[in-house]
Amino acid sequence: MKGAIRFAGVRKVFRWRGPRQRAETLKGALFRRGRRLPAREHVALDGVDFEVAPGEAVAIIGANGSGKSTCLKLAGGILRPTAGTVAVEGRVTALIELGAGFHPEITGRENVLINGMLLGLTRAEVGARMPEIVRFAELGDFIDQPVKTYSSGMYVRLGFAVAVAAEPDILLIDEVLAVGDEVFTRRCLDRLARMRQRGVTMVLVSHDLELVTAFADRALYLERGRVAAAGPADAVVARYRSDAAGLAAPPEAVRAPVRVVEEGRRWGNGDVEILAVEAVAGGGPLKVLASGEPCTLRIRYLVHRPVTDFVFGLAWHRADGTHVSGHNTELAGLAPLRLAASGEVSCSYESVPLAPGDYLVDAAVHARDGLAYDYWRDALRLRVTGAVEWPGVWAPAQRWRSEGPEWGAE
Amino acid sequence: MTALGTVWRQRALVAVLVRRELDARYRASFLGFFWSLLNPLLLLAVYAVVFTFIFSPRFPGGEPYPLFLFAGLLPWLFFSGAVLDGSLTLVDNGPLLAKVMCPPEIFPAVTVLSHLVHHLLALPILLAALAAAALAGLHTFPWTIWLLPLALLPWLLAAAGAVLAVSVLAVHFRDLRDLVGHLLNLLFFASPIIYTLDGLELPGPLERALALNPLASLVTVYRDVVFTGRVPTPGAWATAAAVGALALWLGAAVFTHGRETVVEAV
Repeated sequence: MKGAIRFAGVRKVFRWRGPRQRAETLKGALFRRGRRLPAREHVALDGVDFEVAPGEAVAIIGANGSGKSTCLKLAGGILRPTAGTVAVEGRVTALIELGAGFHPEITGRENVLINGMLLGLTRAEVGARMPEIVRFAELGDFIDQPVKTYSSGMYVRLGFAVAVAAEPDILLIDEVLAVGDEVFTRRCLDRLARMRQRGVTMVLVSHDLELVTAFADRALYLERGRVAAAGPADAVVARYRSDAAGLAAPPEAVRAPVRVVEEGRRWGNGDVEILAVEAVAGGGPLKVLASGEPCTLRIRYLVHRPVTDFVFGLAWHRADGTHVSGHNTELAGLAPLRLAASGEVSCSYESVPLAPGDYLVDAAVHARDGLAYDYWRDALRLRVTGAVEWPGVWAPAQRWRSEGPEWGAE
Repeated sequence: MTALGTVWRQRALVAVLVRRELDARYRASFLGFFWSLLNPLLLLAVYAVVFTFIFSPRFPGGEPYPLFLFAGLLPWLFFSGAVLDGSLTLVDNGPLLAKVMCPPEIFPAVTVLSHLVHHLLALPILLAALAAAALAGLHTFPWTIWLLPLALLPWLLAAAGAVLAVSVLAVHFRDLRDLVGHLLNLLFFASPIIYTLDGLELPGPLERALALNPLASLVTVYRDVVFTGRVPTPGAWATAAAVGALALWLGAAVFTHGRETVVEAV
């Protein structure tokens, strides 16, 4: 199926000779044959198995030298495994170094053509996407200047714009979001979130653990070339954090679905238990949502003791505590009859016109008089992204009309 | 020969990269594409002066000598230029190979083809010089020149083979480029470019050694066609074609052997 990645027993060994030198010299090969130094080996990956389903976002985390980038390069077909198999289906774009391979002497436009064709587009396809690429990269007339005249920001923006314009089935991202400024990073994230909603598979290598938990469904934690943990992103990140702090987490921390049960964050008599709250769009769960896009919040619950008086509610607020909205089934006019078996309740939004930022959602099931069966604060963390930075919390779709003022094209 | 298949599948990309190569070379220069014409023109002028007024070597069938030399030099410059650039092509394009992922075969192909374009751009100068010499009554115009594509083909094959081998070896042996420069020098003087084989009086062993030079047949066939005005013998054609085909086959074999480790080594 397009967009799937499968690693089975993948081993990658790098070898090099000589004391320090990476490349052997011809002289060395000819005249030192007798006492040639044994090849030194570095095992970058050792028996790595994992699968990524189409449309999934998986992060690979681990210390430097743990094999993260090697994994990515294997998935991208840049390297081949020493042993084992790597199966990748669909068109792959690797965002390993933005703008790598731009030729400094020729114009941005020609470089876009070459890079686009390297990524598998035809000449005509690159031509058709050129205006959008130029717009995203905010290059304007600079597109027809030699790339050597570009600022590093322009360089990186153009690199990103070309790579995403290739419309891959699989996007491999190696730390590239760390290079730009804040605004650029946010715009990239927004673009990536939109691509995720279209079902593009993503594999992300990052040291930014906040980003990993916000962006990825699952994570793979590599330690010296082996998989140390794999599972839901939050759990794996927690495990990695505790390992990094020198405290090995109990293995349950990874296998059990994490639920940080802290004093004051969750309460209720437990007649009904909320199992999970997730945001879904376009068929898959997500943690990053593009502003203005539709979205559904889904609450899965387990009934311990049947009840007849119940209300499901959701409350949105910003990470800084600002309340955004609260709504529930009672306000929506739904009259409860009976809640006896486990099931799901979902709330769909035609669009989520929120300003970019981090949002927390509380989920609750309670009686009409407010008696909580299960009240879960901050059950879901969502990052909303947008092309433009908005002040405030509301980012409505809008249209301006005017009579009198004269406007120029920006 | 999978290398050729890959290059063919990526022909649109190869074409764009060849353009880039030519553009990048000429964009920064004042005269732009005229350099392609000017380079051989200046070369011809220098040879004409030096070998008419300073030295005047005599070889049977080598008159006028500047033109004779030019006809021998043109394909040689194509070959040696491509091989010298070939030693850097994979190293220079390392970022594309390691960060963007693309089949490595296309870069040797781009090197060979961009040098082929330079060669083709120099041909009008050769034609003009031949026509001028014919008008001045110095030399009869070689009507065999229409066989030029056939005479160029062995050069193209040989250059492709040599570039394939050199490009991948240079990734693994960084000092290869210096060696390639010296080897090309040796090969230049061992090839009948500034002389003809039948015009030499050499000790037997040296003559036999020179006859072993695989490029000799290529030089002779090319010059017969564009200068002497003689249709090469079937034997000469066959030898040149065999040398080209063998070079390509060997080069492709070396390339295939080393291609897997290219990305790790650049």
